[in-house]
Amino acid sequence: MSIRYNLLIFLFVLLCANLVFALRAFPQNNQLSKSDVTAKKLRMDRAVMCEEIKDFTPQNPAVVFSIKIGKVSCFTSFDPVPEKTVIYHKWFHRDDPSTEKRLTLQPPRWGTYSSIQLRETDKGPWRVEISDQKGNLLRILRFSITD
Amino acid sequence: MPFLEFIRWQDVIDILLNSYILFRLYVLFRETYVFRVLTGIALLWIFQRIAVFLGLILTSWVMQGILAVVALIIIIVFRNEIRSVLQAKNLRAILWGFPQKSVPTTIQIIVESVNALSKRHIGALIVLPAKENLEEVVQSGIPLRGLISKEMISSIFWGDNPVHDGAIIIEEDRIAKVGVILPLSYKSDLPSRYGTRHRAALGLSETTDALIVVVSEETGKVVVAKDSKITDIRGNEMFTKILQEHMGIHEEEDVYHQKEKFKMSIAAIISVFFITGIWFSFAKGLETLITLEIPVEYTNRNPGFEIVDASVNAVRLHLGGSGALIKSIQPEQIQVKLDLGKAVIGRNIFSITQDSITLPPGIILRKVIPSVIEVTLDETIKKEIPLQIDWIGELPEGLILSEIEIDPEKIEIIGGKRILENISTLYTEKVHLDNLKGTGIIWANLALTPAALKIAPGSKDKVRIMYVVKPRPK
Repeated sequence: MSIRYNLLIFLFVLLCANLVFALRAFPQNNQLSKSDVTAKKLRMDRAVMCEEIKDFTPQNPAVVFSIKIGKVSCFTSFDPVPEKTVIYHKWFHRDDPSTEKRLTLQPPRWGTYSSIQLRETDKGPWRVEISDQKGNLLRILRFSITD
Repeated sequence: MPFLEFIRWQDVIDILLNSYILFRLYVLFRETYVFRVLTGIALLWIFQRIAVFLGLILTSWVMQGILAVVALIIIIVFRNEIRSVLQAKNLRAILWGFPQKSVPTTIQIIVESVNALSKRHIGALIVLPAKENLEEVVQSGIPLRGLISKEMISSIFWGDNPVHDGAIIIEEDRIAKVGVILPLSYKSDLPSRYGTRHRAALGLSETTDALIVVVSEETGKVVVAKDSKITDIRGNEMFTKILQEHMGIHEEEDVYHQKEKFKMSIAAIISVFFITGIWFSFAKGLETLITLEIPVEYTNRNPGFEIVDASVNAVRLHLGGSGALIKSIQPEQIQVKLDLGKAVIGRNIFSITQDSITLPPGIILRKVIPSVIEVTLDETIKKEIPLQIDWIGELPEGLILSEIEIDPEKIEIIGGKRILENISTLYTEKVHLDNLKGTGIIWANLALTPAALKIAPGSKDKVRIMYVVKPRPK
């Protein structure tokens, strides 16, 4: 009975000691994480215009899209994504702003897209300006909507 | 005078030319019936214009009809006269010659008459008064007031004529009196060959300043008496000279020429006035209005500035003037210029004044629409702008234009700062997709919009497009 009781006390002490060490280690680990953020920048590894997104993969990337397909998407993927952040997809029909999409990126890497529905009046040259949270322009994708 | 500002040099030539034509018509036809009829037609035309002015519709219509018919009648009825005038004379005579009419002058008639009387030994006594009045010196005499002629003088001194013994008094071109008794001279030293006529002639010359011509009935010799002196006449030349000196004429036919010159001058002046009147009634009387759209030209622009916008590119000018001038107006004769010498970057407002507009003479500016033009100027800069292909058409079924490469990707453009600031992409002209297959290269021109933009020297004006067309994945 006493042996069993002593074993329980030992395990309890061991657990407490582990907890104390664990709590002491967390801030240190956290400090390292912050230094990683400064070391690694958000990097866009792919940006394409495509007809659709299937299984998080752009389908039929192209530079000209027929209005008949009814929809066009801008796919962007980032690796690494050091921290949760947002990017913007700004769509322009010729030089007129059409829409602006705010997309969230999650670490460590993330792929995201925005789409527009096509109407008859949307024919002509388009561009999508991809910019980061601070508005820095990352890439411009140019494409056309035709018959 | 303000109206003179609107007379062009062409108008002056117009008036002078037509005045000369009218004057020549007068010169050529003045002695014919054609001229009288032409004068009648001119009067008829004046009445017709007055009738039109007064709004007498029927009268003006009738006169217009008569004028049309009369013009035809003249050509038919007077065709012979017109032909003789135009055919008989050479071109010089028609264009600027003056037909010389050989009308004998008083002196010529006297000389010829005296010669004839002298040859036939018919005694004659002809008095040519000067300044002094003879009424108190001479006696009796029958007033005649007949136009002088050789036949008249011969018949007066004809032996059977009751007045043949008396003298005749010639005043200007008329025989004023016949059968005049002259006072006799009491000189005792007169040669024996002189008879009573000579003594009478000398008697009048002693008391007056008249010149008296004597034809001796016995010898046929001619003498003249003036200032108490008798002079024998030897030859026509001497006789003519003495008569000319007495009458104060230096050249033969001077009076006739002077009269002719006077007549011609009057005719010329009337022609000019008449044609000027007609010209004004045609050219100035019928005021016509016209509206023209004239492009605005900008001058003295600072080379570093660019016109990026103007409220209008052309202005509408409401112009007035005679119908003839308005019809002959050419748009390139009219200019609307705006001086941009004092213009600044940004909006500038200019009023279009009379000074900004160049009009042909005789044309009056009534109105300008708009009267104010807004011009926006911008600083000229260079900017590198990315290019984008403006695709149109449709790819063949089952194909995708998967990627393109363009060269150059950017192009340097010169243009207004404000314009270029708002342009982030430069597009090509429309490029057709319909015939694209596989991989290839095509060329496209740039579509510079607005047109004020220019490609910087050294930049390419065409874009090379390398394309990749792939089958659509199934």
